Amino acid sequence: MPLLEIRALKKSYATGEVALKGVDLSVSAQEIVAILGLSGSGKSTLLRCVNRLVEPDSGSVTLDGLEITALNKRQLRRARQSMGMIFQEFNLVDRLTVLENVLSGTLGSVSLWRAFSRAFPRENLDRALGLCERVGILDHIKKRADQLSGGQRQRVGIARALMQNPKILLVDEPTSSLDPKIGAEVMELMLEVAHETHVAMLFSVHDVRLATEYSNRIVGLQGGSKIFDERTETVKPEAIDLIYGMNKRAARG
Amino acid sequence: MGDGITAVRQAYLHDRRVGRFVKFAALLSLFAFGFWSIDVLQIPIDRVLGMFGRVGNMVWQRLLPPDLVYATSASVIYAVLETIEMSLLGSFIGTLITLPLAWFAAWNLTPDRVFLYPMARLIIVVSRSLPSLMAAMLLVAVFGFGPFAGMLALVVGTIGFAGKLMAEQAETINMGPVDAVRATGAGKLKVFIYGIFPQLKPSWYGIVIYNWDARLRSSTILGFVGAGGIGLHLRERISVLEYHGAMGIIVIIIVLVVASEAMSHFLRKRYY
Amino acid sequence: MSRVIVAAEGNPLRDRGTLLKRYAFYAVVLCAVTAMGVHLIVFGTDWGRMGTFADVFGIIMNLAPSLAFMPKIIGPLLQTLLMAFWGTLLAVLLSIPVFYLAASNITPYMMLTYPLGRGLIVVSRSTHEIIFALIYVAALGLGPLPGILALASRSVGFMAKTTAEAIENIDRGPIEAIEATGAGPIKRFLFGVVPQVLPVFIGNAIFQLDINIRRAAILGMVGAGGIGLYFAEQMKIYEYGNASACVLGVVLLVIIGEFVSNRVRTKLISG
Repeated sequence: MPLLEIRALKKSYATGEVALKGVDLSVSAQEIVAILGLSGSGKSTLLRCVNRLVEPDSGSVTLDGLEITALNKRQLRRARQSMGMIFQEFNLVDRLTVLENVLSGTLGSVSLWRAFSRAFPRENLDRALGLCERVGILDHIKKRADQLSGGQRQRVGIARALMQNPKILLVDEPTSSLDPKIGAEVMELMLEVAHETHVAMLFSVHDVRLATEYSNRIVGLQGGSKIFDERTETVKPEAIDLIYGMNKRAARG
Repeated sequence: MGDGITAVRQAYLHDRRVGRFVKFAALLSLFAFGFWSIDVLQIPIDRVLGMFGRVGNMVWQRLLPPDLVYATSASVIYAVLETIEMSLLGSFIGTLITLPLAWFAAWNLTPDRVFLYPMARLIIVVSRSLPSLMAAMLLVAVFGFGPFAGMLALVVGTIGFAGKLMAEQAETINMGPVDAVRATGAGKLKVFIYGIFPQLKPSWYGIVIYNWDARLRSSTILGFVGAGGIGLHLRERISVLEYHGAMGIIVIIIVLVVASEAMSHFLRKRYY
Repeated sequence: MSRVIVAAEGNPLRDRGTLLKRYAFYAVVLCAVTAMGVHLIVFGTDWGRMGTFADVFGIIMNLAPSLAFMPKIIGPLLQTLLMAFWGTLLAVLLSIPVFYLAASNITPYMMLTYPLGRGLIVVSRSTHEIIFALIYVAALGLGPLPGILALASRSVGFMAKTTAEAIENIDRGPIEAIEATGAGPIKRFLFGVVPQVLPVFIGNAIFQLDINIRRAAILGMVGAGGIGLYFAEQMKIYEYGNASACVLGVVLLVIIGEFVSNRVRTKLISG
């Protein structure tokens, strides 16, 4: 049985824009899956429907046997703890310190009083420091998040997501706000930690090279529909041309 | 766990302990300060406890409903008009005085940095720090009861309020065009009119309108010390314990202030 | 040269219609100012009571602050400062529920609680502190307590308005990220909203403290504690020198307050 199972997921926004037209997708344990598509193809919506940051109209999402789409609010909050999310714009809380940002990954499980007084439990603290060391930001933990460079900020984002002890990482265009060299480093790092912690990863990209280089499987998304879903080594250039038209160079640039 | 982590962890835990202690100490001092304040201000604790009931009673029984018949009577309407007049005339005359003062009080433009600049600054700062109600009471002592004293208090208010804002705006202008006009051999007043004022026009007009809005607010209470306007009626109603009538005046004042704020907002948006 | 331009027909700088309109506007302003001036200054003043020029001059001379009275106003000035501090602190606390209601993106019931919050803000901001003080003095008697409440009532609107606007302009990204960790609404507020809004909030609180010193200074004139009471008393017994000593004290206190507040706020923004 796959770890994550998405069935017939549909979503249209109040503006009338149809983002997802019934998408099926599955991710096995420890698998790295890339969602490839242009902007507006529904990648971000798909990822956000998995943890219901965006509420899907119909269809189902099941994670490790738990039907996410059937949960009430309280149950959903609990379920979200097993899905770490990493964002294109990092979405750190700028005025908190790096360590506080990392620790905020445990907000789902700590008590309200501890959250209010910033008195996170010792074991969380130790784990946070370990993750900071792993992603290479241990020297910066006292700094405010907005004092870091883009690459460092995304590392904080990765540590925060891992802080949740997730079963799967949902990653939305992790390198789009970074320059290519830093972006590649961040991708490498994510892949490494995903392997080390045995976490599956579902990431969206618009860059074909990133998708082919870092994934086990590529899912092509266009206009809210899945147009191909194949193992990375067997994806044919024609399939990618379907998404980007003939102008592949533009897509890479 | 590496040595690096252990060190960082120790440092963090130490900081956290210190931080907690500081927060606790700050909270404790705030409480001590509170008790000391209660002592200094001689605040009767029993009255604090019964406060909500008494204020609630005051508002619901004695103030509400407002006596709108009285509040729209001829004498009140006349006082409202007088209030508006005071605010307009006070703002107008005040602005005329403020224009040169703001020019003198802007460091980059001032024609004389040794004498005029500090004098203009001093006048603006003192006018700004002088509460208008106190100024009005002093002016009443000099010029007698009536809207003239109130208007003069509003002139002082304008100098303090608009003077500071206008000088601040003047200090942000681009000096290029100013130097260009100066290069033609124009005198200081001409440099101001042709090089400086055109740049400042939009922001200064905005400040003038904003100032009028603020002056109208303060003109509503100047009557308390006999300096003209609607405030006199409010004091009268309260001194004869006619609270419904007083509430009627308060409603009129709120309407007046909200209308002026809307108008000032509209004018500033529409033109600048 | 300018004469040539004026003569040129259809010059956009010197269009006749625009000029006419402008002169008409000036004329209206001039007439209005004259009319108001005559009404207020000529008829609105009790010239008989004012007396001769020499009388007026005499009174103005009497206005020189009497330095001997200065030591006596230190206590009342301290009272004024304390009133401003506690009034502001109370306003800060009271503004929390009000901005919660009045921020359109977090208000619980848009149709009901949003107008309520906005209405409270309008009433608080449009009513002069003296009016609040009168109401509280009538309900609670004389003293600094009604003064503190009046300052709080007056400041709460500004605090709530600026904070509600800050919340409405908040960056949604971090909140989304905090939500994705499984945090509930209160934790989301604590970690996503508070850190973004807090600097603005504290800056405005200090600004209000500064303004409230000025406001607290006059509340005594209606019996609500502080230096205003001493000022009004001295005015009533025609001790103008003592009264202006009070004013001088207030001016100095306000200037110091403004200076300190500016320094603290600049530090807060940069640091």
